[in-house]
Amino acid sequence: MLKRLTTSQSPFRPSPLRLFFSYIVLGFWSIVVLFPLYWLLVTAFKSPIDVSSGPKYIPWVDFTPSLYAWNEIVVSTGVTFVTRPYSNTLIVGLVSSLLALIIGTCAAYALTRFEYRPKPAVIGMFILCIIGGLIVMAAGVPPIIAIGSAVILFIVLANTIGKRFKGTMNNGDITFWLISQRMLPTVAVIIPIYVLYQQLSLLDTRTALIITYTTVSLPLVIWFMRDYIANIPLELEESAFIDGASRYLVLWRIILPLAVPGLIATFLIVLVFNWNEYVLALFLTRAESQTMPLLIAAQNATRGPQWWNISLLVLMMIAPLIFLAILLERYIAKGLLVGAVKG
Amino acid sequence: MTPTQSGGSGGVIYAEQDMSFRARLSRSLERSSPNVLLLPAIVLVLFLSIFPLIVSLLLSFSRFQFVAGGYSIRYIGFANYIKLFSGSEQRKFLGAFDAPSIIALVMGAAALTIIAIMLVQYVRSNRFSPVGLVMRLVAIAFTLALVWLCMITLSGDGLPGTLVVTLIFVFVGVSAQYLIGLGLALLVTQNIPGKRFFRVTFLLPMMITPVGIGFLFRMMMDTINGPISPIWKLLGLADFSWVDTAFGARTAVIIADTWQWTPFMFIILLAALESVPREIVEAALVDGANKWKNFRHIILPQIMPVSFTLIMIRTIEAFKIVDMPQILTRGGPGTATESMTLYAYNQWRALDLGMSAAIAYLLLIVVTFVAMVYVRILRKRVVVD
Amino acid sequence: MNRFVKLTAAAVAALGMIGAVAAQDMPYAGVTIDIVTFTGPQIAEPLQRHAPDFAAATGATVNVVTVPFADLYQSILTDQATGTNSYEGFVFAPQWMVDYVVPGYLADISDWVAASEELAWDDISPFFRDFSSTFNGRTYTIPFDGDFQMVYYRADVLEAAGLQPPRTWDEYVAVAEAINGVDMNGDGEGDYGSCIGKARAEQGYWFITSIAAGALQTQGTGQGGFFDNETFEPLINNAAFIRALELYQATNAFGPPDELNIGVGDTRSLFSAGRCGLTLDWGDIGALSVDPEQSQVRDLVGAVVSPGWTEVLDRATGELVACDETLCPYAIDGVNYAPFSAFGGWSGGVSAAADPVAQQATFDFFAYVSAPAQSNVDVTIGRTGFNPYRVSQFTDQSNWIANGYSEEFAANYLGAIEASLNSPNMMLDLRVPNNQRYQGVVLDEVLSQFLAGEYTAAEAAQVISDRWNEISDELGRDVQQAAYLSALGAE
Repeated sequence: MLKRLTTSQSPFRPSPLRLFFSYIVLGFWSIVVLFPLYWLLVTAFKSPIDVSSGPKYIPWVDFTPSLYAWNEIVVSTGVTFVTRPYSNTLIVGLVSSLLALIIGTCAAYALTRFEYRPKPAVIGMFILCIIGGLIVMAAGVPPIIAIGSAVILFIVLANTIGKRFKGTMNNGDITFWLISQRMLPTVAVIIPIYVLYQQLSLLDTRTALIITYTTVSLPLVIWFMRDYIANIPLELEESAFIDGASRYLVLWRIILPLAVPGLIATFLIVLVFNWNEYVLALFLTRAESQTMPLLIAAQNATRGPQWWNISLLVLMMIAPLIFLAILLERYIAKGLLVGAVKG
Repeated sequence: MTPTQSGGSGGVIYAEQDMSFRARLSRSLERSSPNVLLLPAIVLVLFLSIFPLIVSLLLSFSRFQFVAGGYSIRYIGFANYIKLFSGSEQRKFLGAFDAPSIIALVMGAAALTIIAIMLVQYVRSNRFSPVGLVMRLVAIAFTLALVWLCMITLSGDGLPGTLVVTLIFVFVGVSAQYLIGLGLALLVTQNIPGKRFFRVTFLLPMMITPVGIGFLFRMMMDTINGPISPIWKLLGLADFSWVDTAFGARTAVIIADTWQWTPFMFIILLAALESVPREIVEAALVDGANKWKNFRHIILPQIMPVSFTLIMIRTIEAFKIVDMPQILTRGGPGTATESMTLYAYNQWRALDLGMSAAIAYLLLIVVTFVAMVYVRILRKRVVVD
Repeated sequence: MNRFVKLTAAAVAALGMIGAVAAQDMPYAGVTIDIVTFTGPQIAEPLQRHAPDFAAATGATVNVVTVPFADLYQSILTDQATGTNSYEGFVFAPQWMVDYVVPGYLADISDWVAASEELAWDDISPFFRDFSSTFNGRTYTIPFDGDFQMVYYRADVLEAAGLQPPRTWDEYVAVAEAINGVDMNGDGEGDYGSCIGKARAEQGYWFITSIAAGALQTQGTGQGGFFDNETFEPLINNAAFIRALELYQATNAFGPPDELNIGVGDTRSLFSAGRCGLTLDWGDIGALSVDPEQSQVRDLVGAVVSPGWTEVLDRATGELVACDETLCPYAIDGVNYAPFSAFGGWSGGVSAAADPVAQQATFDFFAYVSAPAQSNVDVTIGRTGFNPYRVSQFTDQSNWIANGYSEEFAANYLGAIEASLNSPNMMLDLRVPNNQRYQGVVLDEVLSQFLAGEYTAAEAAQVISDRWNEISDELGRDVQQAAYLSALGAE
């Protein structure tokens, strides 16, 4: 009897006892995950007094649900109070994630299919040219001219002196460099980025956020998609090349359809990051392009955290993501093959 | 590019001259496809990271002030860094020191032994080279400095500074997230009913904005009006507070961080486990391997590369922790939960931009160092094994 | 309902006025002004509410732009310093004024203020008129709000215990101890003697200043309480400030368990929920305690001017000495009070970079919002963050009673505010360039470390003092001292 409880016929069908313990652990973690979310849900329907006078758990039993927060957020401050940041989050999140996916997937494909041999000396020259440009800019030359001439100078140097240097790096180095961009603490780069966008008159625009989010998402996309694409057999492409298809056509017709699960999973993860980003948005936006996380943070003002408003806004923010997650759930498990390739 | 240069023979020249503009365009596009595909990513990253990094570096050697009609930036050499390492910011950045306790000394000795063994192995191995040795010695010096710093700030009357606090958040937090994530993934990968429910449910915390989670956990940790307060009262801990003591406050931050990021570990490890070919596991079971051996020798090697990458991503992200302590504990009590990013952010808010840039740079150096050591040492041992 | 009637009445009055002006040319037709303040209804709501009336009267379009409270200071500064100049008007805390005035971002509005009848400048309480809104003798802002700290108490709890409201900080601690553990909200559980939001990066550094103020400043507002006027040495490393630190810490024992991590928002909700006997706060508690949505302590609250000291700092020796007539000329019954105008009350400033017509329009809009007709109603509405700052707001209590204040509470609350405002020894905020570094970073951080037990009171005072000196030296001691004295009007 005991034996039947602890053993199972197939390795993939756990024994009843194991099933029981599995459910206990999984159930416990489900509570750990779901209870705080439940708390958000009930808090969104409490009036301030119900929040401050001890914990109240069940609507209609412990307290009378109130539309206080809804009134505060949607009605009394005008509906654009929430629709504007919401549409900003929606547009910025979706567009930047899509762009990052397109640019990143192209780069990931290129890094798995071509050999690159960049020269450290040329990169050094590039950095020197940029520093030169900055110094000239600090001396009062308009930024466009300074940067433009720095780039031209670099192209000239790279094609003349640059060709004499021997040492090269490989794809692994490029990948590592791209991915290492994720290491940059945002605060280390934010002040120059602010000044840059100010010079380009892009402050407080969705464009600025989209460009920035696309860039900070690239390392993740490249990381995920490189492994995914590397796992797609080369033979499929080779037969297409024999038929005379171009590189782009192969990427579009063969690689992308095969990579759909990877693309979806990557998109979802990147979207979550961009949807919820706070620090960059804090620095780069004012009123027009504020996103939802800022609105949530702003609920902690001179009267302390407005728990009811915060709860409601967080719920509004996660609702579409939960919907997407349920819709695309089956792709996620298939789509992440990070680290599947060794090296 | 003229046809003569690219064409090999006369026939080709004629053929190419006959080609339409479109065909020529597509041909040159095809030839430059490696660049077309890769360059957008490179240019964007250069545009938004290399350039700002250079400017920030300059800024960290200067003092920034608002003056009539704009701002002034004055070069002050290493003054900001000196202040952090030995001046008035030392206590906050590095911490307050005390003689290391016995436990700390034992741990330190253990670390030293491991490093010594690894070094001896390296010197004897065929990979040995003088440059490699110098690089390793530098890395060892850096590691020992960090270990020593942890030893003298975490024992006795010592107080850890923002650097050590950040390291604690990263190592404790990421370990907890990995272990819990792996455990949950192993359970869910079994063929059990309700799998899909768990998969979606466990993913949820990741989707909430960190700002929201900070506020959410302030409610959870509230022992007066919070939902868990009756349980505390029941346990006779009505006057307990998470945030009264340095230890409790750090635990609270790590719990909130773990709640948020375990899903990330979980979902990717689950994907990895599910891609382990069934036949391998089945074959192993038929061979009579017991469960632990099955896990240790068959499943673990399969998920090692994924784990390696995953821990790397999370470690890098965890070094940047800011929203959670800022909202949950505001870096308090004292400076017990102030991470380096929060530290830099606070300096920025006080308009000490030079100091802010200097802190951010030091953080960058630490992250890069940890990532390099991790890649160089662990990957060789773990993945190529 | 009363509030609604009042608002309607105000709107009708405004419309009547508009009708009168409509015949004339609209002076600002086609002018658009952007005004920045923080997200949240407290300030943005009244500004937004008055914008249409103003637009109808003058033709100017007013946009209210909001940024999170914590970033307002930097937003205005970076916007101006980088020459972006997105805003025509700023509504901010006048403590920040020095950082805006010194680089020349704010327009000098002295002449306009003097010429404006609508504004009724003389009706504004002298402290806000002569100190809060001026720098170096020139006026730069128009007040909308009167901010300073007071002590609130539960009248019923103190009465039951046979105690008087505290007059000194020693008494404050004694009262807190006596009533700690008493059930104050009828749920059968003991409540807290004193609630003060001590969290880091919140309002802690204002509270410690409020406590120390009465011992540090004795010779009237112009003396100042942060630095020695001659040597610019911080008034921190002395017996008075150390004693203030000890008293501040002593209140921990009678507060909620997580007092070190709660801010003023939390203590307000605790106090409104009837869980605290005493609290130190701005004027907002008055409005909150009569709000039926938020309060369980309606008509149970009393307010007194922020407590004082019977012994004060002798600046020559750094010791505490008993008050006498020369040392404390403004003492009442031997107690030296120095109500602290923490934050200084939200005020409007005009951007010097805006074009002249827009500047004039912005000024007129601010004057319209601050004019008695609008402001005397706004300050009685709990939803706004506006607290009283005009003489006429104290003399006429009808607006208050109409908004749900009981006669007794209105008299008590307004009395405490009036006593603070009339005090010739009110203490001004620290106004030197980069004051955020002195207070928001150093004072706040060391204070929090002290409360967490990382420093003793004497060590904490020493560290704060040293680091303040370091900042002064970095930024230029002379510059800082000159700004400090300018703000005090002592030059």
